[in-house]
Amino acid sequence: MRLIAVTTISLALLTCFVAASAALAAVACDLNDADRDVPRLFPNSTSFSSIYVSIEKRGGAPLLKRIENRLGTSYLPLYAPIDVPYTLYEIYRGKEKVGYIHGVNQKGQFGGIQLFMAQDLNGRIKTFYIQKITGASAGKFRDPKFTRKFVGLSLKDFDAYDPVTGRGTGKIAEITNPAPEMETDFYGVLRGLKKNLILMDEFIYSREHGKP
Amino acid sequence: MITPFQIAYKNLLRKKVRTLLTLVGIMLSTWVLVSLFGFNRGYEKALNRDIDNMGYQLMVMAKGCPYEAATMMLQGGKGLRYMEQSMVNDISREPEVDKITPILMQAFFDPNKGESGGIAGYFGVDPASYPAMKPFFRFRSGGWFHDESAAEVVMGYEAAELEQRAVGDLTLVPEKNVRLKVVGILERTGTQDDGTIFVPLKTLQRIAGTSKITTIGISVKKDADMARLENKLYQLKDVQVVSFSQVKQTIMKLIATARVMVLSIALIAVLIAMVGVVNTVLMSVLERVQEIGILKTMGAMPGDIFRLVWTETLILCVGGGIAGIGFALLFARVTDILVRRILPYAPSGGLVAIDGRLALLTLATIVTVGLLSGLYPAWKAGRVRPLDSIRREG
Amino acid sequence: MMTGSEMVLEARELSRVFTRGSESIRAVNNVSLSIRRGEFVSFMGPSGSGKTTLVNLLGCLDNPTTGELDLAGRNIFGGGKVLSERKLTKVRRELFGYIFQNFYLIHTLTVRENVALPLAFYRKPGAEAEVEKLLKMLGMEHRLDHLPGQISGGEMQRVAIARALVNSPEVLLADEPTGNLDTKRSVEIGEILQDLNRNRALTIVMVSHNPELARLGGRRIEMRDGQAYDV
Ligand SMILES: Nc1ncnc2c1ncn2[C@@H]1O[C@H](COP(=O)(O)OP(=O)(O)OP(=O)(O)O)[C@@H](O)[C@H]1O
Ligand SMILES: [Mg+2]
Repeated sequence: MRLIAVTTISLALLTCFVAASAALAAVACDLNDADRDVPRLFPNSTSFSSIYVSIEKRGGAPLLKRIENRLGTSYLPLYAPIDVPYTLYEIYRGKEKVGYIHGVNQKGQFGGIQLFMAQDLNGRIKTFYIQKITGASAGKFRDPKFTRKFVGLSLKDFDAYDPVTGRGTGKIAEITNPAPEMETDFYGVLRGLKKNLILMDEFIYSREHGKP
Repeated sequence: MITPFQIAYKNLLRKKVRTLLTLVGIMLSTWVLVSLFGFNRGYEKALNRDIDNMGYQLMVMAKGCPYEAATMMLQGGKGLRYMEQSMVNDISREPEVDKITPILMQAFFDPNKGESGGIAGYFGVDPASYPAMKPFFRFRSGGWFHDESAAEVVMGYEAAELEQRAVGDLTLVPEKNVRLKVVGILERTGTQDDGTIFVPLKTLQRIAGTSKITTIGISVKKDADMARLENKLYQLKDVQVVSFSQVKQTIMKLIATARVMVLSIALIAVLIAMVGVVNTVLMSVLERVQEIGILKTMGAMPGDIFRLVWTETLILCVGGGIAGIGFALLFARVTDILVRRILPYAPSGGLVAIDGRLALLTLATIVTVGLLSGLYPAWKAGRVRPLDSIRREG
Repeated sequence: MMTGSEMVLEARELSRVFTRGSESIRAVNNVSLSIRRGEFVSFMGPSGSGKTTLVNLLGCLDNPTTGELDLAGRNIFGGGKVLSERKLTKVRRELFGYIFQNFYLIHTLTVRENVALPLAFYRKPGAEAEVEKLLKMLGMEHRLDHLPGQISGGEMQRVAIARALVNSPEVLLADEPTGNLDTKRSVEIGEILQDLNRNRALTIVMVSHNPELARLGGRRIEMRDGQAYDV
């Protein structure tokens, strides 16, 4: 009896250690359960593959500088060192690539915000998903009533709106804060979204369209 | 003027490529062997260090809870059993107890985590006794709680990273919507403490609405009889005792299986290297039958020739062995990384510990096995007769 | 008659039979002969007559099938006695130095090291053991640190002679020492041997096909079909 208990505990301890060492490796932003989450976020997809890209490998310090410039360094920190691999899910229907899913971390008032978006091949948002957000009315941000408003948006829409100052026009300016008591997190979501779109543009879209 | 050692050494130089290949063979097998021996010790050491980093050697938990973390993961925090905090005082009266600390593990449901909600775990610790259990904790920023019921948290390195928290930021306990302020962020420890959020015990009890605890951590006095204390704790009602020395033994047992496999691979490597030695030395004996015969006309005894050939084996083994150990030392980090890939659980820190004694032991092993392999060729050489050489000229 | 102590080598009815399958060859057939200290004996005779076989028996490199052999007044073989390899080695290193047609120098060692080689195994009490002096005497002082591959055949045989002498043997056994050398070098080696015999009173037992060389010796023995005849 005692032996069994000890073995169980040892195994439990082992799993803890393994989990700890796995956590050590992953500082970037992954889907909790990609096999279940991908079909949900990208309906009609049949398979996906995870690829890992890092700023270091894609262009090193110059790329980092460019991304930071586009973000506006002082307001939208990357929260990740240059060599951290970003997990990028390539989505397929049959053999055909149909889009991407990518997530980023953004600081919220009470904890980290993890925001994912599914994009089609043109960079348009198909699904917007907040995997994690902390706050008394955090649920309102995860509510489809809110996240649906982001469907169809793309990086262009941020041309007319600045998520740091909250000023601007266009589709994004029309999105209202569902939880006014959580203003920090509302802007956190918008900033995280912009960051996500810029990263995806640098990693994927501007490359595919032959831009530098 | 010329010693048998020089004769042997110069003879090995005659076929440089063959000698080199043999040396490489011995070197590789020594490398494997010394790394393996080193791993055996290093792993245990690293495991010990990890368990020492728990801060306590014994843990008392309410019965029905196999292990706090496992429970929280599997049962969503609902399966936690509690015990009275007064038990801490009872146990602390035992003479074997050095330090003791009450812990409250508490998990809250966070609906805004993942698709359908998740668990946020908190570790309620006593600011008076817990830090003493973890003297090796280093703060990346900030420090421990300001008082025993402060609305504050200390975060492990990974937890802070995930929550994007810095000292001075706020956190929110889900379900209860209690705000806590981050006062300290720990340096990475490589253990599960990295993912833990620490809260003052009283604070967590207040939030959870309980006066009880889930766990007691006990560190035992240096020379105390741990088994006796364990047995005494087993007498307590409704508790379960986890001894980390037992846990360690179990993990070591699990590792032993993997080790046997690697050891057999190492033995095969050594065997192959030794076949190489026998081959090289035997070839060089057969090639030199004439020369050996001449040495005999000069007055060399069978024993002299035997020693001469054995010396060659010795040079090969010592040379290859030292090179192998050198490589093992040089590439200990590489081996470490390789081993980490294979193992289910790798403690933090260096896994492969090679010191002078171990190096000597391995060298002795290789040389002994090598000299044994050299026996046959040397014996054969010793039996060459002078006439064998003269007749061969044909 | 001579006293036993002057006889360095005494063979009585020595025979050596080789069996090859069912066939047996009597390579040395009932040879009796005595060699005095300081003698220079040359063996001659057609190929296959048993010269090498006999000299090997005299030099303790081989055991006779029958017969007796006394060396320096001590019985070595006789009455079917067979000596172990260790015992033979002990006899050899006290009494004999050997040189051969093929020199048998060790190619990885220098001239100096080759000559010193016997001393690595055994140093006879009172032996000369002066490598450089010996090599100088043989005219090899300018080749001390050369490898055997870098010197001529004649020079190699000089080195082999120096090596044979380093432990001050009583008898030098030389089986066709000039067999691989041209006439000029052969004469040189012959002169060296004659010199050693005269100035050092070294007993020399030599096999040679070369009549001129054989004449250097004071005593010539002709071998035919395993038997020996003084000429
Ligand atoms: N080990 C042996 N086994 C069988 N027969 C042998 C052996 N050694 C010598 N013989 C034979 O004994 C006979 C004498 O040989 P030996 O070598 O003594 O002749 P040799 O006079 O020295 O000839 P050479 O002038 O060619 O050197 C030969 O017929 C030879 O074939
Ligand atoms: Mg012959």
